[in-house]
Amino acid sequence: MDHLQLAAHTFSSRLILGTGKFSSAALMLEAVKASGAQLVTVALRRFNREQLEDDLFGPLSEMPGITLMPNTSGASTAAEAIKAAHISRELSGSPFIKVEIHPNPQHLMPDPIETMEAARVLASEGFLVMPYISPDPVLAKRLEDVGCASVMPLGSAIGSGQGLASAAMLSIIIRESSIPVIVDAGLRAPSEAARAMEMGCSAVLVNSAIAASDNPAEMAAAFRDATDAGRRAFKAGLMRESSEAVATSPLTSFLGEQS
Amino acid sequence: MTLLPDWLTHNNDCRELEAMLRNRSPESLETMAARSRAMTLRRFGRTMPLYAPLYLSNYCSSGCAYCGFASDRTTPRRKLSEEEIRREIAAMKQLGIQDILLLTGERTATVGFEYLQRAVEIAAESMQRVTVEAFPMSVEEYRELAMGGCTGITIYQETYDPLQYEALHRWGPKKDYLYRLETPERALEGGIKTVGLGVLFGLSDPVTDALMLYRHARHLEKTYWRGGISVSFPRLRPQTGGYEPTYPVDDHLLARIILAFRIAMPDVELVLSTREKPSFRDGMAGLAITRMSIASRTTVGGYREGESPEEGQFEISDSRTAEEFCQALRNRRIEPVFKNWEPAYNGPSGEIPGCS
Repeated sequence: MDHLQLAAHTFSSRLILGTGKFSSAALMLEAVKASGAQLVTVALRRFNREQLEDDLFGPLSEMPGITLMPNTSGASTAAEAIKAAHISRELSGSPFIKVEIHPNPQHLMPDPIETMEAARVLASEGFLVMPYISPDPVLAKRLEDVGCASVMPLGSAIGSGQGLASAAMLSIIIRESSIPVIVDAGLRAPSEAARAMEMGCSAVLVNSAIAASDNPAEMAAAFRDATDAGRRAFKAGLMRESSEAVATSPLTSFLGEQS
Repeated sequence: MTLLPDWLTHNNDCRELEAMLRNRSPESLETMAARSRAMTLRRFGRTMPLYAPLYLSNYCSSGCAYCGFASDRTTPRRKLSEEEIRREIAAMKQLGIQDILLLTGERTATVGFEYLQRAVEIAAESMQRVTVEAFPMSVEEYRELAMGGCTGITIYQETYDPLQYEALHRWGPKKDYLYRLETPERALEGGIKTVGLGVLFGLSDPVTDALMLYRHARHLEKTYWRGGISVSFPRLRPQTGGYEPTYPVDDHLLARIILAFRIAMPDVELVLSTREKPSFRDGMAGLAITRMSIASRTTVGGYREGESPEEGQFEISDSRTAEEFCQALRNRRIEPVFKNWEPAYNGPSGEIPGCS
């Protein structure tokens, strides 16, 4: 079977859902269900155990077949992310932590230096670390070296809907990585999820494109199908792209001639 | 005459914004609304983080001509004791509020830094997020507030027009235009994570003020790359003292200004308070605004007492309860969010262990 393997955890779905930005918890849950996702991420800042109608964690934790991956969105330093990871593990019991460190609250680009430090500490403490990063092939290898369970490079800026603007860098990361590469952020259309999977990504994470849609459950199902299609195409082996015509007379028939 | 810094007066990257503000055709407003709505939805989704203000005190040392709490008003003065602050916060938490804005007037002998610092600490014990709208402070004072759990400050320039500013701020420490202008920089320098900017529309030419507000925000973004910026759009309301706006801003123009800011600053948090009426708030919620106040009281205290007979700083136009307002948001397919912060992230920004 073709499964997504994250450390000792196996998932048949390769679509991971973000849970913020939905117009209601009920619609979010419907979308998660329709997406077939088994792994979903939820921000620690949206855990609200004092006020259950405002809480995203509770309803997700009760969903059968769902593994929660808390995230540290809102943290701006390694120290804050580490603290948040500890609280998240205590509240959720999940071994996964999606490390998101964005010191600039406007563009939300991940800080590579702080992310590296948080990942190193948290991996050594036994967390399954899933770092959200810019598409930097060297950083991806450095994170692999310290024991991350995957790397999660952005396709393009969060909420930008610019799709796989970073495709060239992503393809280097995919080629060189020994751990799963999960494209996170920027995907707008299911076709972009399919393309990421065709490139050889292990999974994709989608939030805004589903949450902001007029029909989140339907969009989630479309992303599910596209992710599957892209993965199947990757496994089957895509035909090579070629812009050169193939000459009817061989161009290299002179090779091996005697004189 | 105040000498304004270049970044406030010489900046050509606001030509598009200026064009949006100067064009007053209804068609252009619709086009802007469609663009702003799509941008807001894409970047912020269908959620609305909510906060509520708590007026700690109405003592004030300044003489702002337009304010109900100016020091020459006959309004009775009071400040909340520590015990009263705790009780107010408990009452606010009953309404579901987890994100609080603490307000005071300009610094006085009765209400100074230590009082505010203590109030922040008390609020941070039970609120998820604490921000402050008070008097300008020093870098060191801001650092201490951040240590106490304050993550953001709001400081409006009121108007960027130095002549109007001089005329309207009749006495007191607020007369110092440049000291106030540089306050957000001191706050960010001190490790406050987010600064809220704004002008009080109605005091001066709204287009000029909006352009300078934009330049101020851009200057801060470029200079303090870790800083969170939010922009508010308060409009002059009837207040104690009966000040009439010299440059009234109608609903159409205010909406245009807000939409133009969303288009010019796609990632910046835009805030709207209960100064505005329900229809305007509900309409703008889906189009550009990404943070709103609820169930506000503008009297000192006021949550525990219910409706207070005292006069507040200004009149509230949206007096709906928290539940009524949340329902209105839900009807527009927007989820009200009470907790959108985690105290684990409190503390001065940019402090990296081993480096500080």
